[in-house]
Amino acid sequence: MEWLGFLLFACAAAVAAWLFLRLKRFEAGAVAASDELKKLQASQSQVMHTTKLASLGQMVAGVTHEINTPLGFLRSNAQVVTELIDEHKQVIDKICTALARFAALNPADPKLQAALPGALLKMRSALANDARLSESKELLTDALEGVDQISKLVKNLKGFARVDRDGEDLWNVNEGIDSALIIAHHQMRDRIEVIRHLAAVPLVRVVPSQINQVFLNLITNAAQAMEERGTLTVTSRRNGDMVEVEFTDTGSGIPADVLPKIFDPFFTTKPVGEGTGLGLSIVHKILTAYGGSIAVSSALGHGTSFVVSLPVDFAALKSHGLGQSMSEAGHE
Amino acid sequence: MSEEQASTEKPSIEKSSAGRIRILCIDDEARILRALRALFREHDVYVTSEPKLAIRWAKEKDIDVIVCDQRMPQMLGVDVLREIKMVHPRAMRILLTGYSDLSAVLASVNESEVFRFINKPWDNDELRKTVLQAAGIARDVPLLAMAPISEKEKDQARQAAGVLVIEDDPDTQNRLREILGGHYQVRFAATAERALQVLEQHETGVVISEAETGAGDWTQLIKLLKKYHPQIPTVVITERANAQVAIDLINEGQVYRMLLKPVRMGTCRLSVESAISHYWQLKNNPQALRRFAVAETKTSVLPSWLSASLLNRIKMIPQRLLGVGRAFTQ
Repeated sequence: MEWLGFLLFACAAAVAAWLFLRLKRFEAGAVAASDELKKLQASQSQVMHTTKLASLGQMVAGVTHEINTPLGFLRSNAQVVTELIDEHKQVIDKICTALARFAALNPADPKLQAALPGALLKMRSALANDARLSESKELLTDALEGVDQISKLVKNLKGFARVDRDGEDLWNVNEGIDSALIIAHHQMRDRIEVIRHLAAVPLVRVVPSQINQVFLNLITNAAQAMEERGTLTVTSRRNGDMVEVEFTDTGSGIPADVLPKIFDPFFTTKPVGEGTGLGLSIVHKILTAYGGSIAVSSALGHGTSFVVSLPVDFAALKSHGLGQSMSEAGHE
Repeated sequence: MSEEQASTEKPSIEKSSAGRIRILCIDDEARILRALRALFREHDVYVTSEPKLAIRWAKEKDIDVIVCDQRMPQMLGVDVLREIKMVHPRAMRILLTGYSDLSAVLASVNESEVFRFINKPWDNDELRKTVLQAAGIARDVPLLAMAPISEKEKDQARQAAGVLVIEDDPDTQNRLREILGGHYQVRFAATAERALQVLEQHETGVVISEAETGAGDWTQLIKLLKKYHPQIPTVVITERANAQVAIDLINEGQVYRMLLKPVRMGTCRLSVESAISHYWQLKNNPQALRRFAVAETKTSVLPSWLSASLLNRIKMIPQRLLGVGRAFTQ
């Protein structure tokens, strides 16, 4: 019977060991699954982000057409009415001159004086001193300026979403900095002073709407880091084989223990419900996809600095004249 | 909106040649039409939102300049302009649009052969200047025959003038050699320098060029060539969907055809054949050149490859190779 007991014990031990191993494997599986889930979530948010960008493009395209048509006649009409006012003013001036001459020619002739009733002379002086036309012109000038402001904004929105181009393009980062700063203007207003040090940099090969998004993201973060007043300095430069864009704010800074995590997906310091925590991880992902990178340095209470690097497109640098312009381009 | 006629009295050409020009405006937005009528109040303006009526009017009223919107519910602007081109080719065609997608831009070159592509909102002074220039051309500059030239003339043209391909991508070079090699004297250039050499040494009837490549922007070269040598039609091949670059190539480069990559044999052959006929016709009727006048370029920054000496060489391509005298350049 003993051997039976032993066998039972051995079986139980084997089952236990098997269960134990199973459990271990399951645990490992669970860890792997949760990693997988995180990856999935990250790529899902990437897809969502890309879809968002695409639908932004579509929306901007539609809105652009709808806005440009009324802008077309608004602008034209304001200009034409200004011209019409000038023409009208000339007619009035002629009438006034004629009336004045008529009165001056015959001051002594009572008959003629009587023929030119006082009311008419009064009207003449009223016409000559009328400010309504010049006032109208002033108002029209304001209206025209407003129209131009709107069309500039539409153009910028179009440039930002790159509605009439898709795919990779040779592109000057300074263009993106300007358009992202205009889009982010409402977050800064008079509160934040923007200083630009933009150098003549070589072109990079990117999908510009993506890098625009990167810049907008960094500018928005900077604006939020500066609660009161502050300064945002944007610098572009060439550093060897890379084009660098630096965003330096005078905001609250990032604590040292937080700094290493800021590029992790879903890491956020914002209260629940505000922000998705996707911003910087997507920024990081976009830049590394182009062979670029992003670096951060921060001093608590003094501010933070992000440096975006993208590789110079050397094919474009060589340009057409080849032999002849190679050397020129190198010294730009 | 119902169609209306700004001017009931139809002046004869002789009477109106003193200054009043006849402009036909087509847009589905009545307020745009009213604005254009006010803008051109010193001229005879016909406005309508009915494309079919516009096509009939163009001929009936002997219109000088057509200003047409692109996106209309009944018909696209490029289609209206293409039909007007068939029935009344003398009129110059301008597309005025609030949003430009690439297919519209391509059709406006390849099918409607527009004189200018103008974005809304427009600048009044600029639009006035463009319309007046177009009207002057429509009245004074003779048309090229619509009918294609004879087979015999085509052979002559092919023997006299070659095709210059400015392209640095070897795949596209090979493809074009395959498509055109047996029929034309095809010469390749991968740099501006080499392109100039070809133009200086051989009579060139067609320039085929890439717009923007990894190696940079060729559009400036295309525009300059057209500015100084308007008799050479350009066929632009591009793989990148950039509507604004294409619009600038129409206005500042008067490109003859615009093709998308990958290059298709049929379209490519047709375009080049049509382009070389066009060259031959212009060579024999140089007085028609002004119809292809380019607008002043808006980009002030010249590319780094364009040295003063290269620019000078573009201007000074030997006359004997140009088919027509320099008197017709701008």
